[in-house]
Amino acid sequence: MNDVSLWLIFILIGLATTLPRASFIVLGNRVALPATLQRALRYAPAAALAAIVAPDLLLVGDSVDVLNAKLGGGIAAVLAALWSRNPWLPFIVGMAVLLGLRQFGA
Amino acid sequence: MFASCCIFAAMSATSDSSFMLGAREGFAAFLPFSVGLVPWALVMGMAMTSTGFSPLEAMGMNIIVFAGTAQLGTLPLIAAEAPLWLIVVTALALNLRFVIFSAAIAPGFRGVGLPARWLSGHLLTDGVFATCVDRMQHVDDPRWRLGYYLAPSLWSWLLWQSFTLLGIYAAAIVPKSWSLEFMATIALIVLLVPMARIRPMLVAALVGGGSATLLRNLPLRLGVVVAIVLGIAAGFAAEHVEHRRKQQ
Repeated sequence: MNDVSLWLIFILIGLATTLPRASFIVLGNRVALPATLQRALRYAPAAALAAIVAPDLLLVGDSVDVLNAKLGGGIAAVLAALWSRNPWLPFIVGMAVLLGLRQFGA
Repeated sequence: MFASCCIFAAMSATSDSSFMLGAREGFAAFLPFSVGLVPWALVMGMAMTSTGFSPLEAMGMNIIVFAGTAQLGTLPLIAAEAPLWLIVVTALALNLRFVIFSAAIAPGFRGVGLPARWLSGHLLTDGVFATCVDRMQHVDDPRWRLGYYLAPSLWSWLLWQSFTLLGIYAAAIVPKSWSLEFMATIALIVLLVPMARIRPMLVAALVGGGSATLLRNLPLRLGVVVAIVLGIAAGFAAEHVEHRRKQQ
């Protein structure tokens, strides 16, 4: 692959990123989404975050494994976030459980 | 260069006290979550280096694209010299959620000028969206809102670029067994937990997460997009069921 085409790829991926991001922020009031759609969109962040997190916690390679260390660390982080207001605690507890489980071969 | 010029222009054009007040509050709200960016950026730097990019190419991609998921998702395709259209379509699929985020956060930019909107759009990330979307709907002053949005966005940008650069050079040093990239997953969990305290949100999260796992083998990573749509539909349906139950 030559250098010119690599930079062209970067620019096109950049456009494929900035245009979706800027779309409605830039268009603003000129394009209004229907109220029903707006209410439905409130569920987008929860659905999207879960869609990124869940496969990461549940999959080992390409198959579901409910006894893996990442899921243990993830559950520990969820519990820490539920029961404590300390914003750093989920990171400490989650990493400790992940590395602990890996260390002791769960 | 371009981004930093925009940053200075935006800062100087709006550097009055309500902008700074918003900026301070937004920064404080976002700071704990931003820890999660550090390992993610380090991993990004290492991944680009191991794909064979020079430090200049890696930082070039990082500044032009500025999107972890889209960068990591397209790296294997670039390495395999896949056709250009497939690389772009994959990037679009990975970024489709931002159209939804952009629409949801757009009312928070009423009264904000066009250059600042373009800059804000370019800087929109998952963490900044989750931090700002709700708060920005409930404040009148557009300068306060822009400050509340730009402070965490610019902080993310700076952290991301710095630690990617570090990752490029540290590729050989940090042992893989530390699994530092898991802190990025924890950061997403920290964002998700308070949302899922409301029942329909929990339904949306469970359906979104479950479907993404089941649909992982759909081509072009479209599974994530389908899962988000299914999660939204499930949350909306759960809201209606709950509403009807209350009426009875």
